[in-house]
Amino acid sequence: MSATPTIATRPVRQRQRQPVPAPARPLRALAGEQITVAAGQLGAGVGNLAFSLVTARLLMPGAFAHLASFLALYLLVHVPAASLSAGSALTPALARSARRRVLRAGGIAGALVALGCVPLSGVLHLPVAMLLLLAAAAPTAGLIALDRGCLYGLGATGRAAASLGVEPLVRLTAGVALGALLGPTGAAAGVVLAGWAALAVARTPHRGDERTRFEAPLVQAGAGAGATILAFLGLAIVQNQDVVAAGALLGPREAGRFAVLSTLGGLAAFATTTVPLMLLPRAAAGERRALPVAVALAGALGLGAVAAVAIAPGALIGAAFGARYDGVAGVAAPYVLAMALLGVTRVLVAHACATGAGRRAVAMLAGAALLQFALLLALGHDAAGVAHATLIATCALAVTAGGAAVLDLPPARAALLLRTRAAAAALWTPAGAAVAAMTVGGLVLRVLATRGLWLDEATEVSQARMPYGAMLHQLETTDVHPPLHHTVLWLAIRMFGDGELAVRLPSLIAGALLIPVLFRVGSELYDRRAGVAAAALAAVAPFPVWYSEEARMYAFFMLFAAVAVWMQVRAVRRGRPLDWAGYALASAALVWNQYFAALLVLTQQAAFAWVALRPGLAAPERRRLLHGWLASAALIALLVAPLVPFALHQFTANEAAGKGFQSVPSQAGASASQQAGLQRPSVYGALTNAVWAVAGYHSDATMTRIAALWPLGILGALSLLGRRRSRTTLLLVATALLPMAALFVLGQKQPFIFEVRYFCAAVPAALLLLARLATSWPRSGAAATAVVAALVGVMGVAEADQQLNQSNPRTYDFRGALGAIRARARPGDVVVYTPQYLDTVVAYYGRGLNAHPVDGGLPPRHGHGRVFLMASFQDKPPYRLQAHQALVSLRREGRRLIARLHRPEIQIWELSR
Amino acid sequence: MTTHDPRLRAPRWTAASPGANHRLRLRACVALCLPLAIFYFGWLLDPSRVGNPLLYAILVAAELFNLLQAIGFWWTCAGERAWHRRRAEGPPPEVDVLVPVYDEPIDVVEPTIAAARALRGARVRVWLLDDGGSEEMRAMARRNGAGYVRRRRRAGAKAGNINHALARTSAPYVAVLDCDHVPLPGFLEATLAHFEDPSVAFVQTPQCYANAGHGDIAAAAWSQQALFFGAIARGKDGHEAMFCCGTNVVFSRAALEEAGGFPEDSLTEDFELSLRLHAQGWRSVYVPEVLALGLGPEDMASYVSQQHRWARGCLAALPAVLRAPLPLRTRAQYLLSCSYFLTGWTVLAYMAFPVIRILTGAQPLAAAAADQFLLHFAPYFGIALGMVALMGSGAYTFRAFALQSASFWIHVHASVLTLLRRPGSFKVTPKRGTDAPQPRAALPALAAAAVLATVVVLGLARGSDPSTLNNVAFAIVHLTILGFGVAPALRPARPLAAAERRARERARAAPAQWAA
Repeated sequence: MSATPTIATRPVRQRQRQPVPAPARPLRALAGEQITVAAGQLGAGVGNLAFSLVTARLLMPGAFAHLASFLALYLLVHVPAASLSAGSALTPALARSARRRVLRAGGIAGALVALGCVPLSGVLHLPVAMLLLLAAAAPTAGLIALDRGCLYGLGATGRAAASLGVEPLVRLTAGVALGALLGPTGAAAGVVLAGWAALAVARTPHRGDERTRFEAPLVQAGAGAGATILAFLGLAIVQNQDVVAAGALLGPREAGRFAVLSTLGGLAAFATTTVPLMLLPRAAAGERRALPVAVALAGALGLGAVAAVAIAPGALIGAAFGARYDGVAGVAAPYVLAMALLGVTRVLVAHACATGAGRRAVAMLAGAALLQFALLLALGHDAAGVAHATLIATCALAVTAGGAAVLDLPPARAALLLRTRAAAAALWTPAGAAVAAMTVGGLVLRVLATRGLWLDEATEVSQARMPYGAMLHQLETTDVHPPLHHTVLWLAIRMFGDGELAVRLPSLIAGALLIPVLFRVGSELYDRRAGVAAAALAAVAPFPVWYSEEARMYAFFMLFAAVAVWMQVRAVRRGRPLDWAGYALASAALVWNQYFAALLVLTQQAAFAWVALRPGLAAPERRRLLHGWLASAALIALLVAPLVPFALHQFTANEAAGKGFQSVPSQAGASASQQAGLQRPSVYGALTNAVWAVAGYHSDATMTRIAALWPLGILGALSLLGRRRSRTTLLLVATALLPMAALFVLGQKQPFIFEVRYFCAAVPAALLLLARLATSWPRSGAAATAVVAALVGVMGVAEADQQLNQSNPRTYDFRGALGAIRARARPGDVVVYTPQYLDTVVAYYGRGLNAHPVDGGLPPRHGHGRVFLMASFQDKPPYRLQAHQALVSLRREGRRLIARLHRPEIQIWELSR
Repeated sequence: MTTHDPRLRAPRWTAASPGANHRLRLRACVALCLPLAIFYFGWLLDPSRVGNPLLYAILVAAELFNLLQAIGFWWTCAGERAWHRRRAEGPPPEVDVLVPVYDEPIDVVEPTIAAARALRGARVRVWLLDDGGSEEMRAMARRNGAGYVRRRRRAGAKAGNINHALARTSAPYVAVLDCDHVPLPGFLEATLAHFEDPSVAFVQTPQCYANAGHGDIAAAAWSQQALFFGAIARGKDGHEAMFCCGTNVVFSRAALEEAGGFPEDSLTEDFELSLRLHAQGWRSVYVPEVLALGLGPEDMASYVSQQHRWARGCLAALPAVLRAPLPLRTRAQYLLSCSYFLTGWTVLAYMAFPVIRILTGAQPLAAAAADQFLLHFAPYFGIALGMVALMGSGAYTFRAFALQSASFWIHVHASVLTLLRRPGSFKVTPKRGTDAPQPRAALPALAAAAVLATVVVLGLARGSDPSTLNNVAFAIVHLTILGFGVAPALRPARPLAAAERRARERARAAPAQWAA
């Protein structure tokens, strides 16, 4: 009773809008309510789908088209009306007070439809009877929304679920029967009847019943009902304006493709519809657990929908909508994700409305709607663009709503604010600002310094395009890598498509993250100056930049390695459980990402042994280290154990195929890294790999010259004389050198193993050591700055050479080569290529070209089209011979060479009759 | 007495072995060194490696000489034994403490005299042996209660001065302190106990340069001394071959008399005296405990003068070493010490190779892939360098190495003069450095640096083929080392920055930490 005057004088300040906390109810009860209603909603969805499927088979195609149009109009009436549910869920009294007005509005709308049914029938190509049925249904839309909202508000979950369930039930019985008897009009009559039946079940209880569970809070929150309705209208706009925009901006074909996406997205949106409505009254009552339950349920339902679509989008779309819509399979999962995010956002908006922050939610939604609108105008050139516009807008909305919700939680808010302030304070130190700038700069450099996909990337992309199970099977039977990066790439493709930027996004992010991570590692291992220097070097160092632009696992490798070393030093120095756990997770991630990372893990384990077992250590310290070490080792074993059978199957399969683990792509730049005349790594090869790791990839001639400068290493070794032995430095040196040395030794037996990518964990360690050397050796700060600047300059020059010098043996310009062919090719022309394993990269860049490997046979002798012979890996005699033989055969058949094109590591011959 | 005198602070360095684990590590490394040396020399001595025969012969000679020096170093260091401090029993003996002086400043000498007067564990009589004939010195000796001895005829330099005093004193033990070495009160307590063994002729203690923070030369000179008075001296003691180093040493008078006193015709009278005593069957003991703090050379001229005197003296002693009736092990140790002063020749040879290659195309090795050389050389070089770092416990620095390399010409010059039997003169190492640049003191090294710089430019101008670049890189390595070595001669002496000094002291004093 005392709450009422409080509302009247309540200021807008959010701090005072927090409701009086209600007695906490068990999570199980809260979850049970939500699940019951959500199950009713899902049941309704499945039932309505079943109704559509049955009538699709029952009715003739034209008749079904009429019914489908009727259903669309029926939905069009109900969707905006559904926002009333939010208001009445928050204020059940609204259901009673607004009932007449809603009924009146519905009646008017129905009357207008009825009056205009004849002209509308002509416009909409629908029978007049169906429009009259639509008019009869119009009054139910608002009333059902009001009454169901009231049921949610009162916690009458059983009746709410029954109301949801009765609608498909009536459709499937009366609707199907009437449809069988009367055709589409009968089925439509069943739909209208089902609506009235649902309304009857959802009938608002008498006033006395309203005082059930949430009396006091309902009164408090009553004033926010208007904002709540507006907020839910805003959500409806964000959910639906892309469909409208697609219709307006795109041609019929693309609009139809987007309609398919919209239908799939509707799955996620529909599944989560009731969750925020159930949350509203509970949040208003101060039930703190209601929000996490609702977020979890909405998240689970949304992710379930994403997973259902993402597993095999092509197959799903093909089966449900026909093969002609296959083209949108790539963006199906991203769009469903957008709708799933919208479902979670609805929950957050509902919470904001219930806790008195409805106006803020409305403003936020208005902003999101405008953003989406702008994006639709900017990107809406095709169905994928419209989907991406919605994805970006919903992401922004979810992040904003999530942030606001977190800030609204009193205890978390305080903690977060503290952390935010600390983070902001750290950011605004000169070092923090510098590292932030370096990270942004490094990211920009990584995005700008791009190149086409090379073979390995194209192969992995082709694998990641497969359904998840098939991809794993392919990996297990034909590949040599563990599945972590493939899984990430698989998700990235489903979220962002398979464009160059999209498939490299995970590597770009990991590569950019390496910069601040090295700053932290350097700061903690040595000092802040070394941290800044390490970050500066990481921003421009050619090797990390190169692999940040490659859709492979090596950027992850470097990032995880840096984190593993960081966590190890923390664990030894500080030894908090989180440090040990962080170390174990990073180590497990390393192995799941790349098998050769096991060498780094072993090195770090040896370091633990050395530290924990060294003589003279105090007993408590030894005990602490041993406990942490053993526990972390056990955790690593536990996390890596599931990978073991996979790896064994992989090995067995490769052995059976006669490859062992040798099926790695041939090593580019081999002439600079292998012993002359011997196909095994030489000492110069080791040097070359070491230089690559720090200075990036350069032409073989440059690498030979750089390797000849090895005596400078003597100087480096001598300069270490008299320097203090630091265990941290020893650890870094060990992590950089031991895996490399092990692979060098193994490489004497299996040359392909000794390859800088496989010990690229050495790179962050090398950068840290360089940073330490540059900042600790000079006697003054200014000198140290000059040395770091010089190093960054050298790295910058090396990066420029790596990216721009076309003699870089690691540059394979398949994009340029196939682009050139595409530009010159005409219908009827044929592309043949060697070696055969270029198929994935040809499939990626050569879509639309008539291309096949030389192994598959040359074009018909009497064909009139031109032939493009594309050859790569010409440093390998078999492929060089194959290309030569193909060229000779084509010439013998009377074709003459009319052009020869060169792209880095690729040659193209164009032949014509 | 000045309160800023670094010799009056507590010592921060210890000459003692890091412990049993250190000895174990050391021996394990030695066990690794030998096979790697065989691996390298097995490859190098293959006849197919011969390029230019003359250059090849020089290279092999230089490498073999350095190998011998390295093996000697490893063998010496591996010989160190566990050391325990002893306490003297019985009544305190009489000790004459002799402090020879030759025109050194009063404020350098007075702390030494005062500290000598305060020595514990013996009935001490301090004698100021003034070859400078200074009345101020006499007054200072009187002021501090020390005896004052002045010679009429200053023959035999420092050795003659001490011999002159020996004839006028009578205590059974004689301590010799350079006038700039301030003893700690426990100096005699720690040394006299070893004379319970009547065969001990002298007990040597480390020299520790308290002025190591007073410029790059002082720091580098100290760094060299730290390696010697650490691992090398401990090892020599283990091999019963520790020689007297002229100061911070206590003698048995009986031994001195039997040897006929300090030899007056040598530039390194302490070294030759030790040789005589060992030849007569006397033993020596090294106490790895800092018991006196002194001053090292602070400028290039002082350093050059000191090194030149040591080189001349030790090289001149080579025939005596070969003739003396010494046990094989002791003789080998003396030979190693003497022949060390020939290493400058190898540095000269190594510097010459890239110069000759770039100027003429001739090179010592032929038909050898550079990576094969690297494969065989790198492990040997790495482990050898690691041994130096391990033995020196971090005290031996790059600047010390650079200064040592830049002194190559001193060894060359000294050995030529010795070969020509040109007489040398004893010059007292100046106790105070000058602030002025001293390029003349490093002129030969500067000339070598100029030649190397020229061939670097020439090499780069001639071509960028890997072979030329490889030799240019070698030239750059030598040039850089020489540059670091002679740089202190080209700029005014300056104290090390406090932070750097602290870092160096911490590096010497602290064990390895799991920290930066």
